[in-house]
Amino acid sequence: MNRAADQPEPNPLREGLSTRAVPQPCAIVIFGATGDLTHRKLVPALYNLAADGDLPPAVAIVGFARRKKSDEEFRRDLEEATRKLSRQVVRDEIWKTFAQSIFYHQSEFGDESGYKQLAKRLDEIDKDQGTRGNRLFYFAAAPDQFEPILKHLKAAGLNDTCKGSWVRVIVEKPFGTDLASARELNRIVRNSFAEEQTYRIDHFLGKETAQNILVLRFANAIFAPLWNTHYIDHVQITAAETLGVGGRAGYYERAGALRDMVQNHLLQLLCLVAMEPPTDLSADSIRDEKIKVVRSLRRWSRNEIAASVVRGQYAKGAIHGDPVLGYRQEENVNPDSQTDTFVALRLFIDNWRWADVPIYMRVGKRLPKSATEISIHFKKAPAVLFNKDLHDFNVLVIRIQPDEGISLRIHAKVPGTSFHIEPVKMDFHYGTSFGKASPEAYERLLLDAMSGDATLFARRDEVEQAWAFIDPIEQAWHAKKDVPELFFYPAGSWGPEAADDLLARDGRAWRRL
Amino acid sequence: MPAVTETYSLGVPVEVGKIDHELKKLWQESEGAVTRASLMNLAVYSEEQGSLDRNTQLMARITENHACRAIVIEADCNAESDRVDAWISAHCHVSRAGSKQVCSEQISFRLNGGCTTQLPNIVLSNLDSDLPLYLWWQHEFREPMDPQLWTWVDRVIYDSRPWQDFQAQMRLVESAQAEAKQRIVLCDLNWTRLDKVRFALAQFFDHPASHHRLDKISKLRIDFASGFRSTALLFVGWLAAQLNWRAEKTNGKNKLQFISSSGRKIDIEIRQRDGQPIHEVALTAADIEFVVTHAKCGDLLEVSRGKPGGKRIPQLMPAGKDDPVSLMSEELMRGGPHHVYLHAVGCVRDFL
Repeated sequence: MNRAADQPEPNPLREGLSTRAVPQPCAIVIFGATGDLTHRKLVPALYNLAADGDLPPAVAIVGFARRKKSDEEFRRDLEEATRKLSRQVVRDEIWKTFAQSIFYHQSEFGDESGYKQLAKRLDEIDKDQGTRGNRLFYFAAAPDQFEPILKHLKAAGLNDTCKGSWVRVIVEKPFGTDLASARELNRIVRNSFAEEQTYRIDHFLGKETAQNILVLRFANAIFAPLWNTHYIDHVQITAAETLGVGGRAGYYERAGALRDMVQNHLLQLLCLVAMEPPTDLSADSIRDEKIKVVRSLRRWSRNEIAASVVRGQYAKGAIHGDPVLGYRQEENVNPDSQTDTFVALRLFIDNWRWADVPIYMRVGKRLPKSATEISIHFKKAPAVLFNKDLHDFNVLVIRIQPDEGISLRIHAKVPGTSFHIEPVKMDFHYGTSFGKASPEAYERLLLDAMSGDATLFARRDEVEQAWAFIDPIEQAWHAKKDVPELFFYPAGSWGPEAADDLLARDGRAWRRL
Repeated sequence: MPAVTETYSLGVPVEVGKIDHELKKLWQESEGAVTRASLMNLAVYSEEQGSLDRNTQLMARITENHACRAIVIEADCNAESDRVDAWISAHCHVSRAGSKQVCSEQISFRLNGGCTTQLPNIVLSNLDSDLPLYLWWQHEFREPMDPQLWTWVDRVIYDSRPWQDFQAQMRLVESAQAEAKQRIVLCDLNWTRLDKVRFALAQFFDHPASHHRLDKISKLRIDFASGFRSTALLFVGWLAAQLNWRAEKTNGKNKLQFISSSGRKIDIEIRQRDGQPIHEVALTAADIEFVVTHAKCGDLLEVSRGKPGGKRIPQLMPAGKDDPVSLMSEELMRGGPHHVYLHAVGCVRDFL
């Protein structure tokens, strides 16, 4: 994808060696460095990049957190986590070199002096490690800490760029809890960092198959003429997981499935499926097209919400044969909780390409299997000749996870003297065709942020438009009267019957996963 | 008929005219327990006796990461009678997901006599349709380069390192490429061998503040292992091509001088020493020395920069391996044209 405005002229020795923007030396400062995300995802991702030779030699990692810890203790903790969670085996000699660039900075998020000391320390690291004044601030802390962190970064001058260097900030979701809070968060971020310095991470976009949607659509001429209302009957997007709320009850009780998954991941996937071809592959060209999709989503009245959105909550049931608790029985969950652990939606994109094509989305916890996929259901061929008794559509399935790949269902004659037709599947599996393991989403996204490529990150207006679409649904669910029903479904089922009815009313059914 | 399993043997002997039929039988017998995968036709040609077995073993490992239809050919051009023997087999590996076996099929041929006339037909009649053809040529090229074959080749892979007459060989390859109207991408494993070292040196100059140092390079030293002089020269060619240097003079076999576009002299020394093919590269620009050297553990490169005698913070990067499987895997992963290679060759053609 294209270079950011703050990215330098290319290095002539790089020609032919890499087809991506080159990551620059930098200090990565992680706020919330003792947390789960740092240990489970960020540092293993950075280690893998180092082991593959993709990190520039001058990269320092500075953990910023409240707990008292020495550099050595922090390194030991991270080593232990990385050895458990890295996608490749940790090699002692590589870890040893990698760990030399890891530092720990102990401070309260609200302590101004901690940021001044951080500034000094980063200057020293620049001198010792050659990080050249480039800073990448990663917000892995709770969202309510963003404001004090940003305020103090600004007060300490850490948001300022010197000539020839850059400062960027990566913000983890949730990007607010509604439109007002998202705007407020964006305002807070904008007080310290410009939009082009802000990278809102959505790890779904770092997944190989999500990136492949653009390639599938715009590098294969066969799909382009079919990708519209004339040939597509409907689209389904499913993000199912077998897991329950686990240790995230505190967050999940406030968020629910709609905010946790639909507002960001699923709408992002929908944008990639539904967007018009961008003028080029620059971050803003792609994001300009994506946001048009969100803007074109049909908005609903209160009554229409009840008819188009189904919310559910898992009751006790079984997963893989093991009995599991209902959501309300989970630890730290209100026994009368109204939180949605399942959502199904019937959407329309009111534009020329997608007019009258329903988009069905469902997302849920404690479903029978973990799978995220998009399926494009094509219209039937004319009901003459072979199609009088056929009920199946041609379906193109894009599997995001697991078992990333693409399959196409077509009709074929069953061998024999009679004329019997059955659906058959042409199947492409990444793992089968390409032996090389895909990098983890965080590896790709961290590298992109270091390279100044914001293509796979959400822009401010994308986030706000997504909330503008989601807010009326949440408001309807939290209204004082005429509240749409919360349906319960047994854990291990495919959600409430009302979700099936959503499609059945249109003469359709969810794809069997 | 054996079941489809991982194998290093040539497999089942088959009649040349029934290869397709026998392959279908092979897959039918696996009864859907395995998945056949193929992203390319990878034909390997060698005239070395015993190469069929050796290449079968290489294919077993290459197909772990590059699903293909392998067409492995051993030719004895001096045999008195014309004869073609064929075998089919499959290389199966458990997929990354770990749930199923993924298999690539191999067709092996032993050609006796009349090699140049049989080869195009053998290759062309056994291609997996619609997939690109990569031809790994393990022998020196010779005239005539049969246009019937070469116009079908998408990438020709060779190793220029052992070539006795680089210029003559390169002329043949380039004429085949011209004949094929540029369809063929030339892939030299001797160039692939340099990938990691080039990458390690290039990254020093990623930051714009380092770019000016490229204009101040005054010295380059390359230490190479016995038999890898041409590899070292290709490295020199790469720098010369990318930085607009031209050859000025040679001072003995291993000392060269190039001139930059601004008229600055660059002294280059290539030294043979024990170690890895390209064991160490040291580049001096003004008062800074940039060093890429093999770490003690062998498969890592240690990269560092600094003033001579000053403090350095070395970093480790992957060094890659010099065995045929690693080089092929690296090459097959890259794709795209190799313009930089051709420019590099152009800069040092006279020395090779």
